[in-house]
Amino acid sequence: MSLTATQGEGARRLPRLSGDWPLIVPMGLLFIGFFCGPLVLLLWVSFHNDQNMEVTGVAMWARFLGDPFYWNVVLDTVMLGVKTVALTVVLGFCTGVIYLSCGPRVRSLMLFAIVLPLLLSVVVRTFAWIVILGNEGLVNWAVMSLGLSAAPLRLLQTELGLVISLAQIELPLMLLPLLSVMARIDPNILDASHALGASRWRTMFRVILPLSVPGLIAGSLLVFASSTAAFISQSVIGGGRLIYMPLVIWQQALVVYDWPFAAVVSIALLVTVLGILTLISALGRLART
Amino acid sequence: MTAFTLNRRKFLAASGGAAATAATASLWGTSALASGSVIAAIYPGTWEESFRSIVAPALQEAAGVTVEFDPAYAVDQIAKARAARALPPFDVFVLDPGPAATGAEMGLYQPIDTSKLKNADKLPQVFVSEMAIPVAAQVVGIAYNPTKFDTPPTGWAQLFEEPYVSRLGLTGFQTTFGTTSLIEIAKAFGGSLTDIDPAMEKIKEVLPKIAAVAQPSAMAGLFQQGEIDVMYTNTQTVASLKGRGVDIEFAVPDTGAIAFVTTMHIIDGAENLDNAYAYIDTVISAGVQEALMQEPYNFIPVNSDVPLLDTLPMTSLDAMNDFVRHDWTQINPLRPGWIERFNREVAA
Repeated sequence: MSLTATQGEGARRLPRLSGDWPLIVPMGLLFIGFFCGPLVLLLWVSFHNDQNMEVTGVAMWARFLGDPFYWNVVLDTVMLGVKTVALTVVLGFCTGVIYLSCGPRVRSLMLFAIVLPLLLSVVVRTFAWIVILGNEGLVNWAVMSLGLSAAPLRLLQTELGLVISLAQIELPLMLLPLLSVMARIDPNILDASHALGASRWRTMFRVILPLSVPGLIAGSLLVFASSTAAFISQSVIGGGRLIYMPLVIWQQALVVYDWPFAAVVSIALLVTVLGILTLISALGRLART
Repeated sequence: MTAFTLNRRKFLAASGGAAATAATASLWGTSALASGSVIAAIYPGTWEESFRSIVAPALQEAAGVTVEFDPAYAVDQIAKARAARALPPFDVFVLDPGPAATGAEMGLYQPIDTSKLKNADKLPQVFVSEMAIPVAAQVVGIAYNPTKFDTPPTGWAQLFEEPYVSRLGLTGFQTTFGTTSLIEIAKAFGGSLTDIDPAMEKIKEVLPKIAAVAQPSAMAGLFQQGEIDVMYTNTQTVASLKGRGVDIEFAVPDTGAIAFVTTMHIIDGAENLDNAYAYIDTVISAGVQEALMQEPYNFIPVNSDVPLLDTLPMTSLDAMNDFVRHDWTQINPLRPGWIERFNREVAA
């Protein structure tokens, strides 16, 4: 009796809460315990002035925010994400247009090819790029045998090489949401565009592109978050001269045991990535209106 | 009858109970196993591979103890032990000198009673201490590709001159071999154990010419791919690359190769203390040390009963006394600053 009464009261106070809410309890508890908890802990650790975490204060934040070197690291990390997103958007959209024009059999083959790299470990894919981009690698072999350059191009340990390889490594994250959105574009709309006299290019940019925006946005979110945090690719292909936030976090946490500073950089990375992600989704909403 | 009607509440309670039972069972499983076992941290890669295939069966045979390996780099072991505090995540550490000194400062080890180790008197006594048992030696020097240079490099300073500098691969202060090599480079240009300025200035000067500045884990791959042809590294890396058919030789710099030992430590509050002793004793036994020295593992043994291979840059363990050694209690406080400085100076 009393049970029904409480449920009734609950329903009146929160009218949209359906009777199924206990189903989210396990996930919710996991989330609070293993995500929110550690996050609070991280924040707490960041407000300590010394490595042994005995003195609380904002010294580590001051050290991070007051140092132009670290601002540059933040900027470089963001730019790496932006460039990777830009390249995957171009590659992804082109692949998407081809995908649209294919029949169902080729489409499923394409999907298989897109998912295939995800089955390989990111470490393997990263090391494969060393072989491709190296001085004696595939790209330089092609460039030099075509006589385009006398000396091998420097691609490893450069931002360009890193962006190229990250674009390949992260491309499935762009393609999967993008293709599912593009596949839902009504073919009648494309026919209508042709019938009304639009050229193929015009149809592509004025019809297909705007309709693909939700997919591009979703893909960009995933690629940005993943490429800015891609510690393995950044350190193996980028090398020691390109310093990104994940490397600084690793060094501070695991090499010099400066956990408060590592926490500061981690939170800064989190906030930066969240900021950019918010911006991307805001852009998405803007484009749709 | 009502007992068999399943509603959501009962289902949740029942599945919760089942999960709890499963969790308890698995906990029980571990502790039951732990009575005849020891948990040892181990470096991933060659160490883990060789210890699984050589040390684990040897320990089983010698003491009937099962060893469970927890793969982690030195710094990760320290971080784990420090984070776990009262609940030791494993029984035995394996560490290089830098992290070993850090762990000692943090009070993570318990004293080792060497009388419980049958093989302790076979070890080079300079490296044995109250808290540490050496299990492998490491010798660091210059590695180069003999097909790319007419004459092998002979000293640290030479690495910064042509033809070597444009083929040089650099790595920073994150690893023991990197730190010790950079200290020796600093010394070659007028610095000292605690003054690495000359090395950093020289690196800055030649930076545009250097073939690659890379993370330590990427060095071997870059060498194998021909991206770099000269680097500083240990004999083990040289031997394993050579074993894979890479053109590589080890050169002892004119100021001497760098030597240090990898040590094992028993964690404070270890759960399987006796088994930890049995494990360490097995690791330093002549049979195991001899097996670890062979291809493809290429360890440098520390048991004086094991005759050294002639590919090593010394004929006996005593010869290592003349090699360059470093005091890590002096290096550790400076190292965070050096790591940060290296980042800044080489940042593109």
